[in-house]
Amino acid sequence: MFIKVKLPWNVMIPAEAMDPNGLMIQRAVLIRLLDAFASKKATKDLGYFIALKNLEEIGEGRIRETTGEIVFPVVFSGITFKMFKGEIVHGVVRQVHKSGVFLRCGPCENVYLSQYKMPDYDYVVQGNPLFMNQNMSRIQIGSTVRFIVLDIQWKEAEKEFIALASLEGNNLGPF
Amino acid sequence: MSEKGGKGFKSSLKSSYGPRESKYTFLQDSDEQIQGSSAKGGKGSKARKSTLSKESQPLELKTDKELPENAKCLMDCEAFEILQGIKEQMAVLSEDPSLKLPVSFDRGLEYVKYGRCYMNPQSVRQILEPLKKHGVSESEMCVIANVCPESIDEVFAFVPSMKGRKDKISEPLEEALMKLSKLKRSA
Repeated sequence: MFIKVKLPWNVMIPAEAMDPNGLMIQRAVLIRLLDAFASKKATKDLGYFIALKNLEEIGEGRIRETTGEIVFPVVFSGITFKMFKGEIVHGVVRQVHKSGVFLRCGPCENVYLSQYKMPDYDYVVQGNPLFMNQNMSRIQIGSTVRFIVLDIQWKEAEKEFIALASLEGNNLGPF
Repeated sequence: MSEKGGKGFKSSLKSSYGPRESKYTFLQDSDEQIQGSSAKGGKGSKARKSTLSKESQPLELKTDKELPENAKCLMDCEAFEILQGIKEQMAVLSEDPSLKLPVSFDRGLEYVKYGRCYMNPQSVRQILEPLKKHGVSESEMCVIANVCPESIDEVFAFVPSMKGRKDKISEPLEEALMKLSKLKRSA
């Protein structure tokens, strides 16, 4: 699910980057903020950082005595993406194994759908490995599959989520 | 003799295996547990038995409790509008190498490009907003918009947290779904 969040951050601008006339502050702040936002991949609470929407306000700058940098407190709104337990989402299959498939759901590359959570689907090899049910519905590389999120886990070191998926329920599966 | 021996054997067997018999019975009833939980030991299996003896509870969305205060859910169609707008602006601004987009931007846009089924997020919000009066939460509203349900049965299947309010919600939900069906984008 996408989330719109209002965040207060501090943006630091080195003294040498400041325009001598002090006119281009907004541009300098925005560029630094975009840079900081872009390098922040994800957080546990908000999910994957997708886009900066609006720079709402720039507070008064304070000079850091030790380094000469100027710190501007800013408030901005951003868009993030996070999967929640129990949410219905869709993903694209990127790997097929005998025990299950790995899907990509938006920016999350690590969604695992076990064969035990694919009722009525069996593993077959028809040229490429895939899962198929009696109605000839196929789950293979490139298929888009609607699933329910069983659980998610945050991996602090990699700044990533891993998720478990299930097709147990009505109207879930490839579409 | 063999009988005696058998009996004796039986009785000794019974006494030595007495306490385990009930354990065996317990495991037989819930052998599904063994398949799914081979990594875990027998501890906690009693607790698991009580949850598996009834049908497993449907997963419920609890986004509203998990989101921080200053955050709000967005429908996929709303997110698409915002992200597409940013992409168009970046096309103009991309000559400046200092302007960067986050790594996940393209994947995020790809997700909503494919998944959304409504073209006009403002109309969708106008149609679903009145459901809040009947106790539908913001996140439940977003899930309804994201799954493009065709019937109220689908809504209750995808959002089990709303089942409890079925009586109150069914009528306004039917009305909303009828209006939403007119907004669906053509495939």
